[in-house]
Amino acid sequence: MPNAKSPPILVVDDNHDNAEIIRQYLQMRGYSITVAHSGDEAIALFESVRPAVVLLDVMMPGRDGWEVCRIMKQHPTLGRTVRVIMVTALDEWQDKREALQIGADDYVEKPFDLPTLAATVQRNLAMQRAMAS
Amino acid sequence: MSESILLTDSNESALEPAVRQLDGWTIERVKAGELANAVAARPGVRAVVVASNSPDVLRAVVERAHSCGVPVVVACADDTARRRAVELRAEEWYRCPADAAEIAQRIRGAVGRGSLGSGISDDRVDRVEYEQMLHDSLTGLPTLPVMIERSRSLFKERGELVVLYLNFVRYSKIEEIYGWEKLDAVLETTAAAVREFLDDTALSTSRLMVSFTNDDDFIFFHVPATGVAAASENEITDMVARLQRHVGGRIEAQHGEDIAALFDIYVGRAHVYYNPKIRLERLIYRGIREAANAARSIEERERGRRVADLRSSLRDRAVYVDYHPIVVTETQEIFGYEALARGVMRSLRSPEVMFDVAAEADLVWELSRLCRARAIEGIETRLQPNELLFLNVDPHDFSDPAFNEDEVKYPERVVIEITERTAIKDYPKFRERLRIFRERGFRFAVDDAGSGYAGLGSIANLEPDFIKLDISLINAIDTNFIKQNLVETMVKFANDHGARVIAEGVERAEEFKTVKDLGVHLVQGFFLHRPLHLPLPSVVETVKR
Repeated sequence: MPNAKSPPILVVDDNHDNAEIIRQYLQMRGYSITVAHSGDEAIALFESVRPAVVLLDVMMPGRDGWEVCRIMKQHPTLGRTVRVIMVTALDEWQDKREALQIGADDYVEKPFDLPTLAATVQRNLAMQRAMAS
Repeated sequence: MSESILLTDSNESALEPAVRQLDGWTIERVKAGELANAVAARPGVRAVVVASNSPDVLRAVVERAHSCGVPVVVACADDTARRRAVELRAEEWYRCPADAAEIAQRIRGAVGRGSLGSGISDDRVDRVEYEQMLHDSLTGLPTLPVMIERSRSLFKERGELVVLYLNFVRYSKIEEIYGWEKLDAVLETTAAAVREFLDDTALSTSRLMVSFTNDDDFIFFHVPATGVAAASENEITDMVARLQRHVGGRIEAQHGEDIAALFDIYVGRAHVYYNPKIRLERLIYRGIREAANAARSIEERERGRRVADLRSSLRDRAVYVDYHPIVVTETQEIFGYEALARGVMRSLRSPEVMFDVAAEADLVWELSRLCRARAIEGIETRLQPNELLFLNVDPHDFSDPAFNEDEVKYPERVVIEITERTAIKDYPKFRERLRIFRERGFRFAVDDAGSGYAGLGSIANLEPDFIKLDISLINAIDTNFIKQNLVETMVKFANDHGARVIAEGVERAEEFKTVKDLGVHLVQGFFLHRPLHLPLPSVVETVKR
């Protein structure tokens, strides 16, 4: 059952099916999930949702995941605490360097399996909590 | 002509009375599966009420409706449906069963919100972006355009304004060596220290700002109080000296002496007088440019002085060497030392500064020769027989005829560190030189490995015995899982190629634990040891214990 105390997680994916699968899977595990289907929508929701963790697809039309991550990480109040997980096929050294450059904290390789995704979310929530305290 | 249709898949009986409460509306019912298409096909639809329990239907309807600018109300049977409605950003929702009055109110609400259009979301995105441009998130300081607006009336009233331009010269170097996260942290410290300092000075009414977000130059406007003269040249010179000490001290306390040694500040000044004929912004912009130029010319003068310092240091061989221990991760035993050459003169204390000055004055080979000779002296006088000496050698030094494989008496105890940052021009020739050195018994380390985008290929080319990870990968590695992944990849690569990985810049217990868990073979950093000034055997013994 969704747990009201669980810190909010923002799932950003332009593919509705993907987003829905992630949402259902994480919600079943008690996380509180908000979904955005574009980079702009994610930024618009960012301040009201105040997510602890953002699960961010990289390849999106319009504003892509890199840009969204950069903007979120520069947010004057929320930027310091939010953990951003990039969902992407980062297999090259270069891509990972790029991810570090824009301030991403973690990544999930695409195609992802749900247990790995949940474990990644879990470890970032734990890290977020540890850093906040 | 302007018919208002409420389209729905719901068969709630409360809908008819609800629609009657809306002026001139009619209701049309279609099957759930046809709702999405009907919204687009039927002109005159002003709102949709969706009752279907299927998430697919709901999503399809919301998307189609929003693309046509039609607001959506969701009739929710349970909590799941309500959550889905909120997530899909339907304009309104209500819990079934609901009475006619409530339904009518929800429909009105949805139409009201819908008429604001999808612009709301765009506005919010714009606002987030604008706000980020107006204030620097790192330092919390306002940017120039904001400050000009705020100072406008005060400047007009007092008629004059002093612009001070604070140029922190080697901040780009900090970023190059330690990565952007470190410079961010240093900038934060800097801004806090500058603010703290200003609060305690006669200039406390001045306003501090940054020119652009994330930039490393600070500007401040000093508008003299009524009846008080603006700060004089002497007062400002005096203030700058105190500011330099204050900020330098803070940086050293928080980020260590190596970073503090890179720190230097030059302050340029310009006096701007109000002129009603000229646009105020332009007056200020010109003042800022003038102050920036003044800062730069002070820097130039200082640079000339440093070149003179370097020439005399070379003549007097006034360079000494600090030895930074490299330890075995598992046992924490000392494995070797990296030689860090430093100038005896205070202005040349930092090796980065010293080599920068040498590059400008075309004295790099001379300086390299001196530093090498000094470091190598230590093998016999300072190191234990089983300990290695790690020696920084710039790839360009291999073209120096004075640098050859016979220079060193114990080549098997020397590890030559070659940085990944400098591009190697003539690769085949370079490799040939390496081969000769290797045959003599020298070993090699790739320094700053992973600093660029190059990845593992360029490292493999050098066939190193050691791989020294770039500091930016180690800084806060305990909190960043991407860094952990990169280091893990590097360790695996090293194990496959018979090399050993060294983590440099380990400053905290958490970083040490993380690199240890990742299987990094050797560690260097303040967490374990500071660089030792002339480690005599007795000192080494103490350190080991």
